[in-house]
Amino acid sequence: MTPNAIEINNLTKEFGDFTAVDNISLQVKEGEIFGFLGPNGAGKSTTIRMLCTLAKPTSGTAKISGYDLVKDASNVRENIGLVAEKMIMYDTLTAAENLRFFGKLYRIPKEKLERRIDDLLEMVDMQEWKNTQINKFSTGMKQRINVIRALLPEPKIIFMDEPTLGLDPQTTFSIREIIRDINKKGVTVILTTHAMTEAEALSDRVAIIDHGKIVALDTPENLKNMITDSETIIFSVKITNLSHELIEKIQLLDTVTALSQQDDHTLKISANGKDALNYIIDTIRHESGNIFSITNSNESTLEDVFLTLTGKEIRDHASEKAAPVPHGHGAKAQTRGR
Amino acid sequence: MDIMKILKDSYHIMAKDLLSLRRNRMSLAALIIMPIAFLVMFGFIFPSGSTQTHMPVGVVDLDQGQGSSEFISQLGKMNANNSYMNLQNFTSTDAAKTEINRGKLYGTFIIPPGFSYNLTHGQSANVIVYVDNSNPQIASQIETVATNTVTGLNGMQAEYNVVNMSQTTGQNVNAQAIVFPYTSNIVTTIPGQNNYFNFLAPGLMIMIVMMTVMTGIPEAISKEKEIGTFDGMLSAPINQISIILGKTAALCVRGFGQCILILLLAVIFFGVTIQGSILLAFLMLLLGIFSFVGIGIVAVSMSEDQASGTMIVNLLMFPMMFLAGIFYPIQQMPWFMQDISQIIPLTYAADAMRKIMLLNAGVGDVITQILILIAFGVVTMAIAVPLFRKSMTR
Repeated sequence: MTPNAIEINNLTKEFGDFTAVDNISLQVKEGEIFGFLGPNGAGKSTTIRMLCTLAKPTSGTAKISGYDLVKDASNVRENIGLVAEKMIMYDTLTAAENLRFFGKLYRIPKEKLERRIDDLLEMVDMQEWKNTQINKFSTGMKQRINVIRALLPEPKIIFMDEPTLGLDPQTTFSIREIIRDINKKGVTVILTTHAMTEAEALSDRVAIIDHGKIVALDTPENLKNMITDSETIIFSVKITNLSHELIEKIQLLDTVTALSQQDDHTLKISANGKDALNYIIDTIRHESGNIFSITNSNESTLEDVFLTLTGKEIRDHASEKAAPVPHGHGAKAQTRGR
Repeated sequence: MDIMKILKDSYHIMAKDLLSLRRNRMSLAALIIMPIAFLVMFGFIFPSGSTQTHMPVGVVDLDQGQGSSEFISQLGKMNANNSYMNLQNFTSTDAAKTEINRGKLYGTFIIPPGFSYNLTHGQSANVIVYVDNSNPQIASQIETVATNTVTGLNGMQAEYNVVNMSQTTGQNVNAQAIVFPYTSNIVTTIPGQNNYFNFLAPGLMIMIVMMTVMTGIPEAISKEKEIGTFDGMLSAPINQISIILGKTAALCVRGFGQCILILLLAVIFFGVTIQGSILLAFLMLLLGIFSFVGIGIVAVSMSEDQASGTMIVNLLMFPMMFLAGIFYPIQQMPWFMQDISQIIPLTYAADAMRKIMLLNAGVGDVITQILILIAFGVVTMAIAVPLFRKSMTR
């Protein structure tokens, strides 16, 4: 059995009377890619910050590579790399200067550091930008430097908080390639994301986190099975004369466990019960709704899992990062998409 | 954690900060302009101790006698030596007063009718000095110059009279010793002329360093906190003390650069003479920084963002600037201000700097100030470091 890279026991973080991370416990095995999936404000970043010794837990403990988070903070730091939400680099310095500065803080010997900088730049295909100031880089180039900066000290565990947020598809792809690459070399990767596809594409296991609590933890495959095994059905319905009144009527149905609006005409509905689909269609027709089409989700995605588990839809839009997350939610919460 | 590692990390952080600064041309320019602006501004705005010259002063001769014309010619001769005044003749009091009201004259001598008569008839002859005291600074200078001139003329006339009297009685006397039995000879600690810049430069040096370090701390720390680079340093295996040390060291280098600039300007353009050891002066600067850097760190630790950090620092800095006796001596302040100045570390640092640079004071002469500054530093750092650590892992 592989040892645990991370052991989290009842970790809690409170800011005043707001509980950002609520009593979470889990283990991450060595060599795993572990994803924290959840909407903005769910507590993913706070969890990462605690695990990187950047925030003190209010209660609970965690061991990183066998070292206690609070008591052995400096040993923990020796073993981790961090790709935070905000890029950790200085705009007026060149790529090499940035990497050199952080490398020195890890006491990497000079020759080794230079070799490592060259190797890593080659890995992300940015050798020719070595001596260019960061402020001349595109976001994607910056993020590649940001990622290799975290890899400099050859950490056993690397934490990545939303590593592909706001990046173009090519860069996103290459960052994911890097993540898979370093994982193959034995690095444990802890990933947070609110993008379902990313969690699904990369993670060996996913913890779905909402309001500071872990609502589910398993492989993406098992998580998806979890909802297809049940009587839950998830489908999209396109109604040409969709109105607020109609949405409210549907939402109030007992069988409907979650509902989100996809566009002006389309609703994504998660429902539970034997005759749920018929019942919902009847309701729509009874309210003189004009059904244009119904699409059943053939294969459930992590998004569906999230929808079912939390009763709301995760938003897959980087631009909405700053939007506050409403507090208090029941089984039926309506989240209006685009 | 071992000290070598802490120092090395501090050095890396300092080097990184300085490299960033070198790349930022605007900051660099501001850094150079600031001390120049301060030296020039404060050097010229504040009363410089030496009297103004070429002040426009009127002369109205209402007497038109022999006595008055002699007085005026003596006045002219005497003024020719020091050029305190630019004397202009007016025919009537009203004409001179009009010019004063227009701001063209600072004051006027009025020789009333009967001046010559009084002189030749054994009476004192009175000269009216009419002063525009709407500007108290200039009024007092004119008063001083006018009174000194009249006193000087009195002396000259008295000596002349004594010589005449002694000749008529056939005695050989030292007229000067009779008229001026007492004389004084002023010897100053600093050779040469009184120079306000001598007083200003040492204090200004320590103040500039204080401003650079104090305003630099919120910029250096809060800014990194905001842009997120701090997380990179804090998640690395370094002691948080290294961050404080490195950041402060980078700011010190900046401040020292400015100090050297001030010193050069003061010596080259403002005739400041340095008597003491420059090395000791710079050690004093370092100690000064140590004494107040803690206050800056406390301010930063307690504030959420760069803006509020800068505000708190400015709030603390202004009383320090004006109450630490940098621009004018503490002894001239009212007692409660003097009391406040006693609790400002800058007061002691400026005082010691002045003693070292101007009076060639040794370590032993400023040992009280050194001890007080160390005490300030130790106490503020003892508060600042835990606060800083706590604020880092909020």
